Amino acid sequence: MAEKFKPGKFGMKRFEVMETRDAEAVHTKSLHLLEAMGIKVVSEEGRRLLKEAGAEVDEKSHVCRIPSYLVEESMRRCKRPVRMAARNPKYDFVLDGAHCYTCTDGVGLATIDLETGERRPSTLKDVADSAKIVDYLPMMHMYNPLVTPLDVPKHAHTVHEYMTALENCEKHFTTGSTYQKEEAVYQLKMAAAVVGGWEELRRRPIISNLTCTTSPMVLGMTTDAAIEFSRAGCPPLLMAMPLIGATAPMTVAGAVVLGNAQVIALATVLQLAAPGSPLCYSSEPMAMDVQSGLFEGLFPAADMVRAAHVQMAKHYRIPIFIGGWGTCSKAPDVQAGYEKAFSAFIAYLSGADMTSGPGLLENWTVLSHEQLILDHEMFTMMADMLKGFKVDDDTVPFDVIMQVGHEGHFMGKKHTLDHFKEMWQPMVTDGRTYKEWKATGGKNAVDHARDKAKEILRTHTPQPLSEDLRKDLKVLVAEAEDAIPHK
Amino acid sequence: MTGDKNAILKELEDGVKTLQQEMAVEAARKALAAGVSPVEAIEDGLAKGIREVGEKFAKKEMFVVELIYAAEIMSEAIKVLEPELKKVASQRNVVGRMVLGTVAGDIHDIGKNLVRIMLEASGFEVRDLGKDAPTEGFVSTAKEMGATVLGASSLMTTTVDVQKEIVDALRAAGIQAPLMVGGAAVSEEWAKEIGAHYASDANSAAVLAKQLVGKGG
Repeated sequence: MAEKFKPGKFGMKRFEVMETRDAEAVHTKSLHLLEAMGIKVVSEEGRRLLKEAGAEVDEKSHVCRIPSYLVEESMRRCKRPVRMAARNPKYDFVLDGAHCYTCTDGVGLATIDLETGERRPSTLKDVADSAKIVDYLPMMHMYNPLVTPLDVPKHAHTVHEYMTALENCEKHFTTGSTYQKEEAVYQLKMAAAVVGGWEELRRRPIISNLTCTTSPMVLGMTTDAAIEFSRAGCPPLLMAMPLIGATAPMTVAGAVVLGNAQVIALATVLQLAAPGSPLCYSSEPMAMDVQSGLFEGLFPAADMVRAAHVQMAKHYRIPIFIGGWGTCSKAPDVQAGYEKAFSAFIAYLSGADMTSGPGLLENWTVLSHEQLILDHEMFTMMADMLKGFKVDDDTVPFDVIMQVGHEGHFMGKKHTLDHFKEMWQPMVTDGRTYKEWKATGGKNAVDHARDKAKEILRTHTPQPLSEDLRKDLKVLVAEAEDAIPHK
Repeated sequence: MTGDKNAILKELEDGVKTLQQEMAVEAARKALAAGVSPVEAIEDGLAKGIREVGEKFAKKEMFVVELIYAAEIMSEAIKVLEPELKKVASQRNVVGRMVLGTVAGDIHDIGKNLVRIMLEASGFEVRDLGKDAPTEGFVSTAKEMGATVLGASSLMTTTVDVQKEIVDALRAAGIQAPLMVGGAAVSEEWAKEIGAHYASDANSAAVLAKQLVGKGG
């Protein structure tokens, strides 16, 4: 991927929400929880792996007490750095801790229709359209289906999503709702078919798997799917989603420790299944509206937990994929703007490698194509700050400053000409004069974003899959429909 | 000779529109050596280039930085032609003659400079009084060059009144040429009130100036 689309090399990214000793305390308290209380592991294979490695497993309650040395050894084994490859190799990137990337998040169930503006159940076409928009937007680096299509067989929706994403987006794919082992098996078969075999897939993993742990202190059936990804060398993103005050204590620190314990427990299982395989830390905490009891993704406490989890990932020296960009707003509006900007920026300032969530409203449940464009716009602004700047003879042109002298200006200088393209430029932000703005209909940001989304869908065509590959993939999708357990 | 001349004119034009100062300045030297008239070198070479840049800027295909740099290249090339230009009696065939300045008390002249570039690109001869320009300067320069239009900018609300002083001084001196006003502190209503004409940016200033001198649609 071109350097200009990978912001962060000289960037700020130095914000730490905890003192170093507090980060160490989070780690030791997590180890203590795993050893003393243990974690419930629903996956049979997960329990077997832990037992063989020396954990104390209760086959009745499924609680596994994991010794600290086993967890610490596993965290050391994780592959570094992690490569995220793409259908088109020009979109490959490496999580080296120095750059920032952006992904869409899942998984909504409704879409605000681009034509009618009405909220309606989501369809496979919404997956196709949003994938195509992500393919077009230069600062969106990876695609996770934003909605679950309700017009395909429910048990096999993830393979249909992957097929549609492959047809409409050449960037890295993350699956956010692969819960069953068989779904993982077929998605990985599809990925191997695209890159040309299992060895090539291990070298260039074009798919990753966002896998959720359950709070408090459970590793669910999704662990089986994650194990498949680890064994294929495709990175699982190990997500903790503590609900502060409900499935986690009513404190930031309590939610940080609980989430962290779950993530490192799952990392231990996956490193036992596939030693030295790549994986990423992930976190998507939510905070409670203490008046109503509703859970909101972007209240400040949840953002603090996110920042703390970024710090913990840095502590373990593994990349982090952080959920952000959420909002409880029902429409692409000012509230959506400020909630999203705060959460994404603090995650990046803390050093997050990837954030997810552009395009979704109402706590990641509703897709708005307009919001996807606006969130990308916000990210380009953040990226322009995160990339930082050099201080050297070229960026401080002494001779030009002397030549311009007192009261002159720099607008006609070659140095200005050489550097102006480095400046941020808007895609939809309206910086025109009042007169011009009024004369063209007085459109607001959402109107501009709607126009842009429609223009992209009208004009942008990703490189199609070859006919042979397409046929092979269709066969795999049909097989998957039979093979994935369903009623 | 014609082949040479055409090649030189093309280099003058390309030097400006592709933002290559060396090419434009070198072509100006070649033009003098080959005996190309400096008026032609400007009209059929440099000015063609800057007009194209101006048009692209208006269509948002080129950036303001590029427009200003192109104007800078043009003026560097004209410096080379200047000695010959003074010798030839023939005047440039201009669309109009304009006096332009940022009013007394105001030093914010970057917008005014853009107006000058766009006007020059449109074929106007522009006498630029710079910033913090005294009102008497507008009057005397207009008389001296036979101005067909004037322009006065003000960014600050504290100096917009000077635009009215300029209109009054021009009319008192018997000069009827229209005055264009612009700048952040200026509105259409204010322009009407003082008997001037409003332009909100450099592009519309060029269009308006052509209309005012009867050379544009």
